[in-house]
Amino acid sequence: MRLPIILRYIGVVLLLNAVFLFIAAVISFFNRDSALFPLGYTCLIASLFGVFPFIFVPPTEEITNKEGFTIVVSSWLLSCLIGTIPYVLWGGEFTFTNAWFESVSGFTTTGSSILTDIEALPTGLLFWRSATHWIGGVGIIIFVLSVLPSMGKVGMVLYRTEISPLAAANFRYRTTKTLQIIMLIYVGLTALETLALTVCGMTLFDAINHSFATIATGGFSTKNLSIAYYGSEAIETVIMIFMVLSGINFGLLFVALLGNIRALCRSTVVRFYLTALFAGIVLTVFNIHGTVFSGWLESLRYAAFQVISIGTSTGFATTDTTLWPPFAQLLILFFTLQCACSGSTSGGIKVDRSVLLWHAIRKRITKFEHPHAIVKEKIDSVTIDEDILEASLLYVLLYILVVFASSLMICGMGIDIMTAFSASAAAMGNVGPGFGMVGSAGNFSLIPALGKWILTGDMLLGRLEIFGLLLFFLLKKWK
Amino acid sequence: MGIRIKILSGFLILSTMLLVAGVWSIYELSTIGISVQKILDENYKSVNAAKSMIEALEREDSGILLLLLGKREEGRTIINSADESFRKAYETARSNITIPGEKGYVDEIMNTYDTYRNLWRQSVVGTAREGDLNWYLREVHSAFLKVKLTTQDLMTLNDKTMYRTASNLESRGHRATMPGIIAVVSAFIFAIIFSFLINLFIVNPIIRLTDGIQDYLDSGKQLDVKVETKDELADLVSSVENLIARSKA
Repeated sequence: MRLPIILRYIGVVLLLNAVFLFIAAVISFFNRDSALFPLGYTCLIASLFGVFPFIFVPPTEEITNKEGFTIVVSSWLLSCLIGTIPYVLWGGEFTFTNAWFESVSGFTTTGSSILTDIEALPTGLLFWRSATHWIGGVGIIIFVLSVLPSMGKVGMVLYRTEISPLAAANFRYRTTKTLQIIMLIYVGLTALETLALTVCGMTLFDAINHSFATIATGGFSTKNLSIAYYGSEAIETVIMIFMVLSGINFGLLFVALLGNIRALCRSTVVRFYLTALFAGIVLTVFNIHGTVFSGWLESLRYAAFQVISIGTSTGFATTDTTLWPPFAQLLILFFTLQCACSGSTSGGIKVDRSVLLWHAIRKRITKFEHPHAIVKEKIDSVTIDEDILEASLLYVLLYILVVFASSLMICGMGIDIMTAFSASAAAMGNVGPGFGMVGSAGNFSLIPALGKWILTGDMLLGRLEIFGLLLFFLLKKWK
Repeated sequence: MGIRIKILSGFLILSTMLLVAGVWSIYELSTIGISVQKILDENYKSVNAAKSMIEALEREDSGILLLLLGKREEGRTIINSADESFRKAYETARSNITIPGEKGYVDEIMNTYDTYRNLWRQSVVGTAREGDLNWYLREVHSAFLKVKLTTQDLMTLNDKTMYRTASNLESRGHRATMPGIIAVVSAFIFAIIFSFLINLFIVNPIIRLTDGIQDYLDSGKQLDVKVETKDELADLVSSVENLIARSKA
């Protein structure tokens, strides 16, 4: 493995972070707030570290898969580390552990926060928090590749490594075209939502921040009460629409944008995703009506927002779901585990794997009935490869195992089961809020420091779809 | 890019990181100094003035009680001296208005004090007020309490501001030290990367070239040194290859 080449490409990622840090510093400068130096100095460090390898290391035509893999994982880890620095420099509630938690939560689009008073943060730092969502939402490497399309074969290797194998199937174009589509949808949705939120009465600053958090399915808000602060049905509706859209595969959204809406409607995964959300909302409405809210409309308003928010792994809140009946809480917990479609910015096990799991069960039942039959399962008239089926089942199993293991460890620190399990599931699924101490109206400040490190590990594992991070640490055994 | 620029850029980056962090730490430390001075100048003086005013008020109250007992000389002496102390302290507080809302308290102190003063300026000894405890409790004592409470409010306001400024000093201290820590850690990591790259792209090619020349001299082995960079080292290798080619010819 050529370390200088890896340094060179990680440098590009650091420069991307530096650009957003610079914008945040400019915002700080114009608002004369206390985050100017923390952001400016971090921007300087990121720029210097990013530029330096370019001075020494000559460009290369090709990189190996192993190098590409190392670049992708290191880029995530280094971005999270760079993202920690402005928080640590600013101080306040940010110890190193808290700053790392906030940064990882931002980049992995989890949206869990340790902050008890978000509004105390200066505007520049608030923008940086949201920007970490936006950079991480589409995937750091995807972002870099779409900004710098002239990377040739190097770009292809990095793209293959970064993008989820399940998502890649929906993009039937060459790498450059796919990257263009992803960025077009990503930037387009962000711009549209910003406009819609501004029209609904949000300030431009808040609208940009909330759009970053929605399209990236992150969940960081600029307000302590999250979306509940605005108390506006219009704002909630706009955010709900964009949360649902952000949970759909961008390739399918692009096809729909070109006029082929039927392709979107015919997709089994999208149909499953939307049906699950609809069923979740209906069941929650019936459960919370009369127990939490007296009116049907009120119940629908809060149920729809919370189910969509968790079901897309965004994590915004309009009410405190920890006060909801156990049935509604368990329903939301299901969405915390499943989340939305692959190829979107969402986290979790993903709807695609739920569909695959269902097909695997059906296949096994048929095999029981007809042991000698050759059973082929199809999704959207495409035969599912045995390897994909096995990999998906293994992924779900590993996913549950990791959630269980981290819940166990956090429980061992004296935290109650509901908090420990929901926090682990929410971190692993990059959702944000859980239940108990870490509910939609709470935060993660009371979780012990070690627990926060475990949860950040979960966030990274979830974001890199487990195998990514595991392989990175087992790289020596690759021979 | 030439080797000189490469090495220079490394040192420039290193020094920039340390310099900026150093300048910022110095700025924050000097701000801490200013804040401490501010606490002493603005708040501490006002707190002391408020304390002196309260003490003077209590002495005036004792003087009034002496007047009620018929001791005019002793009473008036104490009251006049306390009045002088009160006015002196009040002037200090008035000339030291630095906190939002402080002016309101200072004005209110003078208003309530004037009311209080008008009461004890009246003749007491030898009049119907002598020994009249009801008059004292109804009018004098309530006026005294009003001035005292307003002065205490002024003291509380300054105390709170002192506490806030002191708490702010803690975060300022954090902001003064953190850049240093971040800069040292970053510089350390950078130094490792810098030395790694110097070793890889400058030192190693020189060693390979030296070994290649030695091999050529010892056994006439063909010089085969590959340099990836386009700098002075690549020129050197090419010159040595030319030299060998010419010497062969």
